[in-house]
Amino acid sequence: MEASELAILIPVLPILAMPVILFLGQLFNGNAKWKGFWKEGGTIATAVMAIVFLLSLWLIVGHVSAFSEGNGDDVVTDVGNWVSYQLFTEHGDMKVQELGFGMQLDHVSVMLLFVASFLCLLICIFSLGYMNTDEVNENRNHRFYGEFVLFCAGMFGMVLADNFLWLFIFWEIMGLCSYLLIGFYYERPSASYAAKKAFLTTRVGDIFLFVGLLIMHAEFGSWDFAVVFNAANIGAADAGLIKAMLLLMFIGAVGKSAQFPLHVWLPDAMEGPTPVSALIHAATMVNAGLYLVARMFPFFAAPAMAGELGDVALLIAMIGGITAFMAAAIAFVQKDIKKVLAYSTMSQLAYIFTGLGAALWFVNNGHDELAFFAFGASMFHLFNHAMAKGMLFMASGSVIHEMHHAHHHLEQSEDGHDEDDDHHFDAQDMDNMGGLASRMPITAIAMAAGSASIIGIPLIGGFWSKEGIVGSAWKAVMYDGGGLFIIPAILVLLTAGMTGFYMSRMWFMTFAGKPKTEVAANVEETTPFIPIPLVTLTFMTLGGILFAGLNFAGWLGENSTHLSLSHAPSHLWHEITHAFLALGSDGQMDPFILIITWTTILLSMVIGPFYAMSLYGGKLAKGQKAHWSIAWIITLSGRIHSTYKFDNSIWAESGLSTALRNRLYFDQWYDSLMLKIVVPFSYAAAWFDRRIIDGVIKGIETGSQEASRNIRSLTTGSARDYIMMAALGTLALFLLIWGVA
Amino acid sequence: MSENSSKKAIFEREFSIVATLVVGAGALLLSFPLFFEEAVGEIDWITIPMVAFPILASIILLALASQQPRGMKENMAFPVKAASLGFSLFILAISSALFFGWLGSIDWTTLKINEYNMNHEYTWINSLGISWHVGLDGLSFPMLWLTTLIIPITMITTWEENSGWYHHPLLLLMEGALIGVFVALDLFMFYVFWELTLIPMFFLILKWGGKDRRYAAQKFFLYTFTASVIMLLGIVTLYFLQDPSQYLIDRGVLTGRTFSMIDMTNNAQMAANDGSVWLGESMQNALFLMLMLGFLVKLPAVPFHTWLPDAHVQAPTSGSMVLAGVMLKMGAYGMFRLPLTLFPHALAEYQYLLLAIGMISLVYGSIVCLGQTNLKRMVAYSSVSHMGIVILGIASMQPLGFAGAIFMMFAHGIISPMLFSVCGSFKHHYHTLEIGSTRGLAKASPFLGGYMMFSWMASLGLPLLAGFVAEITVLVAVWMTFGWWVLLPALVLVITAGYYLWSMQRTIFEGSGDVVLPEGMAAEDARDLSPWENIGNLLMALLIVLFGVLPWIIWDMMSAYANAHFYFNMGGLLNLVAGGA
Repeated sequence: MEASELAILIPVLPILAMPVILFLGQLFNGNAKWKGFWKEGGTIATAVMAIVFLLSLWLIVGHVSAFSEGNGDDVVTDVGNWVSYQLFTEHGDMKVQELGFGMQLDHVSVMLLFVASFLCLLICIFSLGYMNTDEVNENRNHRFYGEFVLFCAGMFGMVLADNFLWLFIFWEIMGLCSYLLIGFYYERPSASYAAKKAFLTTRVGDIFLFVGLLIMHAEFGSWDFAVVFNAANIGAADAGLIKAMLLLMFIGAVGKSAQFPLHVWLPDAMEGPTPVSALIHAATMVNAGLYLVARMFPFFAAPAMAGELGDVALLIAMIGGITAFMAAAIAFVQKDIKKVLAYSTMSQLAYIFTGLGAALWFVNNGHDELAFFAFGASMFHLFNHAMAKGMLFMASGSVIHEMHHAHHHLEQSEDGHDEDDDHHFDAQDMDNMGGLASRMPITAIAMAAGSASIIGIPLIGGFWSKEGIVGSAWKAVMYDGGGLFIIPAILVLLTAGMTGFYMSRMWFMTFAGKPKTEVAANVEETTPFIPIPLVTLTFMTLGGILFAGLNFAGWLGENSTHLSLSHAPSHLWHEITHAFLALGSDGQMDPFILIITWTTILLSMVIGPFYAMSLYGGKLAKGQKAHWSIAWIITLSGRIHSTYKFDNSIWAESGLSTALRNRLYFDQWYDSLMLKIVVPFSYAAAWFDRRIIDGVIKGIETGSQEASRNIRSLTTGSARDYIMMAALGTLALFLLIWGVA
Repeated sequence: MSENSSKKAIFEREFSIVATLVVGAGALLLSFPLFFEEAVGEIDWITIPMVAFPILASIILLALASQQPRGMKENMAFPVKAASLGFSLFILAISSALFFGWLGSIDWTTLKINEYNMNHEYTWINSLGISWHVGLDGLSFPMLWLTTLIIPITMITTWEENSGWYHHPLLLLMEGALIGVFVALDLFMFYVFWELTLIPMFFLILKWGGKDRRYAAQKFFLYTFTASVIMLLGIVTLYFLQDPSQYLIDRGVLTGRTFSMIDMTNNAQMAANDGSVWLGESMQNALFLMLMLGFLVKLPAVPFHTWLPDAHVQAPTSGSMVLAGVMLKMGAYGMFRLPLTLFPHALAEYQYLLLAIGMISLVYGSIVCLGQTNLKRMVAYSSVSHMGIVILGIASMQPLGFAGAIFMMFAHGIISPMLFSVCGSFKHHYHTLEIGSTRGLAKASPFLGGYMMFSWMASLGLPLLAGFVAEITVLVAVWMTFGWWVLLPALVLVITAGYYLWSMQRTIFEGSGDVVLPEGMAAEDARDLSPWENIGNLLMALLIVLFGVLPWIIWDMMSAYANAHFYFNMGGLLNLVAGGA
């Protein structure tokens, strides 16, 4: 049996699991065994995710080995026909169209499938610990697991789909599930609001994507990748409409991946349970937008479009640069540990957009090899970011969970009552933490590794890809017509340093120094299941060097771009020289890129963390010892903190800081647009409908009543009047007949 | 004690009468194939079992119950309800059998235009050329199936809500009348059933409606009736515009004309094939407008829509479900069956008028939805908005747009009853429909909350639920014909999501852990759905998923109808349009 025959099970199994979990949950809620062994559905979800992960691995291994054997075709499976119909073309003849569902695998989808299935499994295991040990979730975990598996199914389906229609369908299913999961605690007004906001904001993007797909259908008569990506078909289409289509699709990606200006939903999405944050921000939904943009590559690569789409690519890079910078700046002032990660996500996704923008620009202007490199680097960054951010969210979840428990414990022992008043204590506020490195060693190490990857510390995962993206953006500046790339290039370079600052800040505020509250001093790392994904992902992140050595980035670029490039087989030494010494494939050093590389390293590795240490670093409390792997960082931070004192109060109290704390007022603007314009307008429309349109109808109604009352007054009841009328009538009749005759 | 036992005896007697009726009808139906085994495909499965039977059965049930002595009538409620449900399930069985081809070899996807399955004609009023003529094609069968699906589900959902013994028989009467509209191939018969549907709905609203039910029932009746009269005028004009035929006069038809839709369609088609305009351009335009007016009011389209919110808000759950689910589709069905088939030239003439009406219904309807404070009013306006999509599909003049519009009729026909059943349960359990008067109901009524969420999502066009297929196909067609105008419907998709999510936020969510009930309601009165409501909603949810995931079950015949329509009826016309453009 071939793996591709079973591939349909990857999205279908979780979809089928959802009603089962929900139904069993309704049936057995409160049952001890359902809570114990079955984890209120968690066991089923984990089993399904494990099966799906194994199936994905089977599929991926098959694809990779087929590819290495020289059989480089994309694996395509046709599942079946959905609807078929006919269309009139402009020339008056009919065309039969069929919309089917099929699956396609190439390198990018293989990578995303691995990311999604691997992280979904780990997050599911994490949830067993995180969700099921919290009393708030009792008797409704089945809802969590049911929605969780549906969400995963959406991601798998989107990655596997071989046409844009089904990509869109699964894309929307993810949107639904994010709504349901963010609003998991629907009774909290903030969660309900955040869920609505997430759905509506992404929906705004989605309709643009939708219209883009309509254009695609009109131009190509199909949504199949095979048809749409065909260079001859692209050549036959209207270039202006293709451009409009790509722009519209990009807006959809902007909404889904939370880029400026549709980014407002993502920080609020933190209202969901932490596994959901990990799921939305790392494994699945936000990557969907990137995947969509990556899928646009063939349009830019088509000969017919050469040089036509440069400004679209520039726009993509520009949005990326702006978002990267803006989100990093807002992350500077966040106190909530999950919000820092949320803004960091936005910023890192924006990096990938910048890289993709550069890749698309290169390929559109005929610089195929550079395009190939930038594309691979972007996709590799997606992989690294997903692994690191998934871990960071789970680690932050671990911190929040244990903080919560410690608080709960203290309350009980002090007051003797178990009343749950969380209102006075925010378990997510980093001002309440500090010194957790010794209390939660696994989490602290995991978070350190994840942060290092996000910052781009050399040799760890994120470094390889980030260097590639920054370098590509700067390279684009040097080429003819790419001058405007200077803006995103400068922005991403600056952001590299800012990332170094805010990620370090988060880590030091949480784990270094002395406990800032009594709760933080009493935290214990005891919840089951949570360490499993953390340890796994720590190795995954630190193993970035292995992936880089295998030229993973190059492999990612290889067949997705459909470029036929002959490049020398890569190895680790080549990658290292390439990254640190800016040696090109011809062995020549590029001094400009060399400067950029080392500036990035300096900014992100030295300056950013240094400032963070001096402001937020500190030794642990007496008698507390951290694990050796992170103890030295804390000692160093304590030294820097006591040696270099910076007065940042000018910044902290400035208007800029206030603006950043208010997220640059985007939310206020959007809210007032809704509340001051759209809603009053709708009320006015409702009034218009009731008073004017229905008023006219009512006017006719009363008018006819009035008229009938007037006519009724003719019937006086007096015989004389009737005789009179009859006589007049007869006379009139005679006159009429006489006249006619 | 003795009184009780005598009550019981009477109850048993009545029950046995009804049971005999049910068994007899069932035996009669089942014996059909036994007697006509070799010619099972030749049997008229429509006239007696699907039109006459429900109408007669409901009249018998009503008569039977009304003849009971005072005080005994309530005892009849259960058997009468059970009988009505049983009958409607029988009819559902027949229509499903028709679909699956168990009653003779029926193929729904190879019909040409003006070709019908189950085509049977009987003389009715010979002197005027009126006949009882029934038949089904890819347009009317989905509507018939929809009717037979929705009526039993409505009966189940409102099993307990509406007391009284003549509620369910009225629904049965409704079913017969609606089926009559969808199967009629004779204009006179069409009009008779068209008006007959008003009567049970009028009484449903009048008897079980809300506070202003008298006003709402009258408005509903008069408004749609007035429009129908204009339509009747069009029909009569159409009748007299035909050339009298000597052949018919010899056979006793005094006027020499018939009301047969098949003949008219043939004539229109022959004229179109010759490249001429049937009945002349101006007459065609006038008739088109007259007929369209009747149908647009029924649909309803802005600005003729104001009877709908009033009727819906006052109507009982069952009334709303049938009204939104099936009755509105009569308007769209009529458009396809008469003006679009007979007057393609006028359609091309008024294409942009239809575009305008469709766009305004869609956009304006959705904006008004956002401004509503009454849950049921909001859902009613959303129907106006969604029916705008049907008009857009027609205005696109693409086979895909036509098929999408027909699919929208079907999809909306299974989604909107669920919307109204949720609203009805809301009203039933919380005695209010004000958005914002409650919070956090999902905690007290998880099933109500769940079904509300599901149906709201279905209505806002979530993929893999029935509405999405219709939306995407119609919008593809709209793009192909009108280009960037498609941005307006796309905008509506956002507004629709907005009002649905906002209304959920202010009813079933929030509350900070406490359920906020409407004023004056005690906490222990907050209940979840009854088993009957649960079953009904579950059935509708399953249907919505079924036709969303596997749309081709019903899509294929719609698409085939639309294609045939274009090949044989509009082919020449479209060449003309395309050449002119």
